[in-house]
Amino acid sequence: MSDQSNQTTFWKSLNELAKNKEYEKYAEREFPENATEMTDQVSRRSFLRVMGASIALAGFASCRKPVQKILPYTKQPEDLVLGEPNFYATSMPFQDTVTGLLVENNEGRPTKLEGNDQHPASGGRTNIYNQAGILNLYDPDRSRSPRRNGESASKNDFVQFASEHFSDRNRNILFVSEANSSPTYNRVKENALQTFSNANWVTFEPFNDDNAIEGTNIAFGQRLRTVNHFDTADVVVSLNDDFMSPFGHKNSVENAYKLTSRRKVNNTDDSMSRIYSVENSFTSTGSYADHRLRLKTSEIEPFTYALASRLSESVSGLGAFNNVSNNFTNHEWVDKLAEDLLSNQGNSIVSLGFDHSSVAHAAVAAINSALNNAGNTVTYHEIPYYGEQHQTEAFLEAIEEIKAGVYDTVVLIGTNPAYSAPSDLDFEAALGNVDTKIHLSDYYDETSRIADWHLNRAHFLEAWGDGLSYTGQRSVIQPQILPLYDGLSEIEFLNTIVSGEESVGYDLVQETWSSYFSSNFNQNWETVLHDGVDPNSGFNSVSVSLRSGFASDIRPNLNAEPISGMEITIKPDATLFDGRFANNGWLQELPEPMTKITWDNVALMSPSTAESLGLPPEQSFKSNDVPTVRISAGDATIEIAAWVLPGHADNSITLTAGYGRNNLGRVADGVGVDVYPLRTSEAMFNQPASVERTGSVYEIACVQDHNNIEGRDMVREATLEEYRENPDFATYKSIHGYEVPGIKEAKAEGDDRGPISLFEEQYGPDYQPQWGMAIDLNACFGCGVCTIACQAENNIPVIGKREVGRRRIMHWIRTDRYFEGDRDNPKVYHQPVPCMHCEMAPCEQVCPVAATTHSEDGMNQMTYNRCIGTRYCANNCPFKVRRFNFFNYTKEYLTTGDDPEIIQMAMNPDVTVRFRGVIEKCSYCVQRVNSAKIKSKIATGSKKPEDGAVQTACQQACPANAITFGDLTDQNSVVSQHKQNDRNYVMLEEMNVRPRTSYLAKLRNTNSELA
Amino acid sequence: MSKSTVENNMYGVLAEFRNPKELVDAAKKINQNGYKKYDTFSPFPIHGIDKAMNLPKSKLGWIVVSHGLVGLIGSFAMIYFMMVADYPLNISGKTLLNIPAWIPVIFELTVLLSAFGAVFGMFFLNGLPKFNHPLFNSENFKKATDDGFFVCIESDDPQFDVEKVQTLLKDAGGTNIEEIYDN
Amino acid sequence: MSKTYEYVPEPALVKGNHDFKSLTALITDINMRPTPKGWYIAFGISNILLFVLLFSIGYLIWEGTGIWGLNAPAGWGWAIINFVWWVGIGHAGTLISAILFLFRQDWRTAINRFAEAMTIFAVMCAGIFPAIHVGRIWVIYWVFPLPNQMAMWPNFNSPLLWDVFAVSTYFTVSLLFWYVGLVPDLATIRDRIKSKMGKVLYGTFALGWRGSNRHWWNYEKSYMILAGLATPLVLSVHTIVSFDFAVSLIPGWHTTIFPPYFVAGAVFSGFAMVLTLMIIVRKIYGLEEIMTVDHIEKMNIIIMVTGSMVGFAYLMEFFVAWYSGVEYEKAIFILRATGPYAWAYWIMITCNVISPQVFWSKKLRRNVAFTFFISIVVNIGMWFERFVIAVTSLSTDFLPSSWGYYSPTFWDVITYVGTFGLFFTFFLLFLRFLPMVAVAEIKAILPQADPHNYDENGEYDPPKVEIPEPVKDSEQKG
Repeated sequence: MSDQSNQTTFWKSLNELAKNKEYEKYAEREFPENATEMTDQVSRRSFLRVMGASIALAGFASCRKPVQKILPYTKQPEDLVLGEPNFYATSMPFQDTVTGLLVENNEGRPTKLEGNDQHPASGGRTNIYNQAGILNLYDPDRSRSPRRNGESASKNDFVQFASEHFSDRNRNILFVSEANSSPTYNRVKENALQTFSNANWVTFEPFNDDNAIEGTNIAFGQRLRTVNHFDTADVVVSLNDDFMSPFGHKNSVENAYKLTSRRKVNNTDDSMSRIYSVENSFTSTGSYADHRLRLKTSEIEPFTYALASRLSESVSGLGAFNNVSNNFTNHEWVDKLAEDLLSNQGNSIVSLGFDHSSVAHAAVAAINSALNNAGNTVTYHEIPYYGEQHQTEAFLEAIEEIKAGVYDTVVLIGTNPAYSAPSDLDFEAALGNVDTKIHLSDYYDETSRIADWHLNRAHFLEAWGDGLSYTGQRSVIQPQILPLYDGLSEIEFLNTIVSGEESVGYDLVQETWSSYFSSNFNQNWETVLHDGVDPNSGFNSVSVSLRSGFASDIRPNLNAEPISGMEITIKPDATLFDGRFANNGWLQELPEPMTKITWDNVALMSPSTAESLGLPPEQSFKSNDVPTVRISAGDATIEIAAWVLPGHADNSITLTAGYGRNNLGRVADGVGVDVYPLRTSEAMFNQPASVERTGSVYEIACVQDHNNIEGRDMVREATLEEYRENPDFATYKSIHGYEVPGIKEAKAEGDDRGPISLFEEQYGPDYQPQWGMAIDLNACFGCGVCTIACQAENNIPVIGKREVGRRRIMHWIRTDRYFEGDRDNPKVYHQPVPCMHCEMAPCEQVCPVAATTHSEDGMNQMTYNRCIGTRYCANNCPFKVRRFNFFNYTKEYLTTGDDPEIIQMAMNPDVTVRFRGVIEKCSYCVQRVNSAKIKSKIATGSKKPEDGAVQTACQQACPANAITFGDLTDQNSVVSQHKQNDRNYVMLEEMNVRPRTSYLAKLRNTNSELA
Repeated sequence: MSKSTVENNMYGVLAEFRNPKELVDAAKKINQNGYKKYDTFSPFPIHGIDKAMNLPKSKLGWIVVSHGLVGLIGSFAMIYFMMVADYPLNISGKTLLNIPAWIPVIFELTVLLSAFGAVFGMFFLNGLPKFNHPLFNSENFKKATDDGFFVCIESDDPQFDVEKVQTLLKDAGGTNIEEIYDN
Repeated sequence: MSKTYEYVPEPALVKGNHDFKSLTALITDINMRPTPKGWYIAFGISNILLFVLLFSIGYLIWEGTGIWGLNAPAGWGWAIINFVWWVGIGHAGTLISAILFLFRQDWRTAINRFAEAMTIFAVMCAGIFPAIHVGRIWVIYWVFPLPNQMAMWPNFNSPLLWDVFAVSTYFTVSLLFWYVGLVPDLATIRDRIKSKMGKVLYGTFALGWRGSNRHWWNYEKSYMILAGLATPLVLSVHTIVSFDFAVSLIPGWHTTIFPPYFVAGAVFSGFAMVLTLMIIVRKIYGLEEIMTVDHIEKMNIIIMVTGSMVGFAYLMEFFVAWYSGVEYEKAIFILRATGPYAWAYWIMITCNVISPQVFWSKKLRRNVAFTFFISIVVNIGMWFERFVIAVTSLSTDFLPSSWGYYSPTFWDVITYVGTFGLFFTFFLLFLRFLPMVAVAEIKAILPQADPHNYDENGEYDPPKVEIPEPVKDSEQKG
């Protein structure tokens, strides 16, 4: 279809035009028709009415159906069997890293992202952003066309404009780019800077690792990337570094799978690494750690120096810290940490959160080199594309120059400073001094609105590209589908500006890569496309040594005093990061790992802090209304819901960015509170603030209302020592002191399958295979990627805040989070809970119409067509894993709006969508199981796939390898092995429902001296 | 009052009595005189009149029992067919022949069928519904559902004779004696 | 010391010197005299409520179950509570007409007719809820063993399915029982009513009944058998309703005490409801001489007894929970009394256990106004009993992570309120057009009805009650 189509608007019907009006009205948040559930403006029940409504927003773009451009095949591609998905390797860029992915592609329609096990940053694993990436692709709210001064324009218009405007090579151009590791991008960038002699290039990321890199500069005199090899470390000290969470570290997947690999315990002889966490807020990493110390953010650095000082007594190289003294000099932890680190020199890691000062990072670098970790467990690498200057500082300077009127043209690539730049810059006003502002972005966002030119960016699944992993492995990004909205990749965009003509990403990428392969390019290229990564690549690691003058330079900065009184810390949001995922319904509805809150951001504080503010120290069980607080810092003030997080540091409040959007998209709009206004160029991370309660309340949709495990044995835990002494600590007997009632009687009758029963059960028929799952609680750190992977795989609808608030969340696998013990320093347990697939499922017998029954391979199955929705099964499920379609969620999700086809493309063709009034629940990914059985039947004649042939979506996504699934009749399958592990237990064993999903008890490798 | 004509033959002779006691006595008397085809009428069941009239034992019990058995066996057969024979399913790993769980339904259906037997059997034995009856031709008979106690000796009794019957009833203390015609 | 004994004769069941004719008139004239204005007003109000019910059901079907307050832990809420409550109320009717009949409690005849009517209408109200509470109302017929396109059959292991059979059987049998009792009285009205229309209608439903004693003979047999069938039936119905909970494994539900406890509760609430209605009716229709204070007292005693049984059941639940040693069982009962729903629990205790105890006082249990008040209190209490059972157990069961608070929405409430519209619409029609007291039966319990109460020349001669001389217990010993 020709490009003119972009300017024109085809109405499918007048009705549709009318509908658009309705949506515009809806956008203005007027009371919508026939939607009682939407009486509150935060309601997201009509998620799709929302998603589909984009045309009204996105300026009237074309109604071109991308589907029509791809299907039907006029010529059948040989590599494609209809109904059989193809898998292609690609990578997902995130800031200046990429994660290797495999894309499930159904007839040219990418539907699911999995990790690429050949890619070091993925290892076959993914994080929530990777999993949710697919929904971003099909987000109808993405900008659908270029705009000139807000008016819809075409790509050609822009190319024309660019060729004219940039024909003047002496323009004073400022390029503001998001962090990007793409070799091609950086090659074109160099061209640009050469072409435009007066151009300046700065990079802006609201959350970045500049300080870490600057730290190495202070310590070693080189700007280096720090890579921690958690798989080889015996002791890990995380100083406010949430390196396992995707929002805490851009290499989280690799960190997570490497760290957990060091903590897999199969028998009493196995060892595991020990993790110490010193942190402000309670993070996943902190909850996974064996020891956790809560400190205010502003106390972390003094603590670090105290630790360095303590270490300097025993190791050389830390002279700079000799007898530095502060509040922590005599802290118990400092001594114990020091001891443990010293006794593990060369195989320990000290890591510090990115946002901390470069000085502190320098200190940590010094510690690691002094402990001889540098080169072993911690390596330092040169980043080719990284400039000589601290990027944020460079950005701040550039803004000053803009204000001074230095630039006539500003080109913004991907980044969204109008929303996320420090508030004191007044970026919007500053940009006023610029004649020409060009912005490439996914959404028509805050920055686009003040730009003269907005270009809609192509999604990474739509365009050619490349990138470097955190450790520098070259990876390709190959498109899976033609751009749905005819967007430009940043490479094409940039090259268009340089060359003045529309550019083809494919050529640009190949051009770059041709330089990597001296000989037979095509073969190598094919290989890389197939593997997704070039194995013989990566940043050169450099051997480092403290530079002379380090001591004298750093010494003056070591007496940083902690903030006395209330402090606030601003972090990226667990699900929306810096706001780039704000319009992603899956992420919005994914419970935050520690608070279990959906659809909102809150001010996290400790129970005591809450009390001191006159707020209740725990959340109400009966009501969703949460008290709000007024937070003032500098000259900015926000009002936000206060949430009590046990284990949070006192007199400290943690806020997360990314919320409070307007006119970005139907999902993002009006959700949460924008905290960027509190952020200034001086205080990007941590600052004093005044906090008071407002007296008003705000509705929060939290999926877990009760946080105390009530001393029940759902989660079982022991220290490594206890486990070695008593390997059976996790059995019912050792927990309760007596056997499961009825076991003896059963044994007496020669039945070893469980307690005695009234009935002659048909236990897992002779049929093979019999499926089962084991979840290793010692690996799980509660990231929630299983939930999103399941949502993507099983077409689970997004139901919106109002419905979530009514406790109707539809997720098939949830992660329960329990606090135990002292409210200031609680232990936290994460427990993923899918359907247990009980052999004697209590849900089945109570269904009056036999809509849920047992399959011959031992799965508890739902027959949606038969279900009449009595909800009796859900009541009778002791694990409460069954979900009910209280409304026609899926219909809202898939058919409302004026071009629902777009979101429909995200659906998995192998999974039935569920309608109103039926129960649904985890199916053990029965569609994957059956296709594997069929394949195996064809291949070997046996319906028993070999172990590993079936992976459930949650299992495949899990970065911690916590979930194993397989055939229980195969004694050698990994899952059978796990079930024979002495830590293996099932929940509610005494109910004699015989769950097929079991758990491996958690272990903590505690330091006996640190009680 | 209509006279006997060819096309309008007599149904019987109706007499009213003052109270239950007299009705019972009259019934006895008529019974002793060997009348078979007669009946007594009262607004409510009278204690002991069954002996007086020497009524045979009601057959209703048998009807109910037979219905009950049909319910019992039928429902078991139905459930067996549905759960075991026709569409066996593994439900909670329970055995297919899960009789304890079937008892409630079997019981209910047995009761239901028995109740049908009891009600419709009774109507059947009483020959009801019967919307038209010669006795309804008598204005006085309306009291039978209020406070009237009546005896009617029917004409097709072998030893029926109008005069005899009328005197018999009069002697028994009957009043408002009248002849009842089919129409 | 010496005691004196006094012979207290059983008070006459019908007060005032009524004969057959006056009774007939007293009762059936109500149906034949022109409709009173008050009736129209009451009927109008009931109709409005009935439309509220229909509307809320319509909206439910249109929008989905989500308009109710149900959520993930609490899959059942008001709908099921109301179902159990209404069914429970229904039980009084059958109990009075069947069980008291078998026990030869002649006083039942004054109230059994409209108690049975109440049963039928209450079961209708109850039946609505299981039907509309399902997610896909349009395929509700799948619970019946009908051949269908899926070639599937219902699951006879499911207590809900047992419910389907129990409640529908119960409704049918109650209806038949009621109708059988009505036939002779319909005949009475047929013979008294003037209007042609009336004659045709009542005549049709009277099936040509003419009071033949050959008919009475089978009739009594049939009535006896029905009573014999209805008695186990009524016990089974609430037993099976209780199975909905008892057969599940949810803490606080999974208890063997439920069947007797539910039946006692049902009788308890049923009698309360009968009293509520009876006290109004006897006043308005001037039937004090038939529905006497003696009746009220007798029923109050039953309320006191069943109330105490229920209270005992509450105690036993706690004891068994503690004695069982099952931690979830223990937890749920402590949570009921002290947890998020403690308010509901203590309302229940106050209304069901404490309030009926006042009936130990003869003065209070013969006090009509006070009885009326208590009867209302008891019905509130019994509603809360079902609330406590259904909701608390679900909202705080095994995994603390899935605990969640349940609260109803506007729609839950008006649906419940609406069922009163349905109930009273039918009940008022019944009062207007059908004899609200079993005429034939009440005549039969007059002394005049017994042939032995006449002398040899057929004159009425009721037995004289002899009060023997007070006797010294010393003599008695000897």
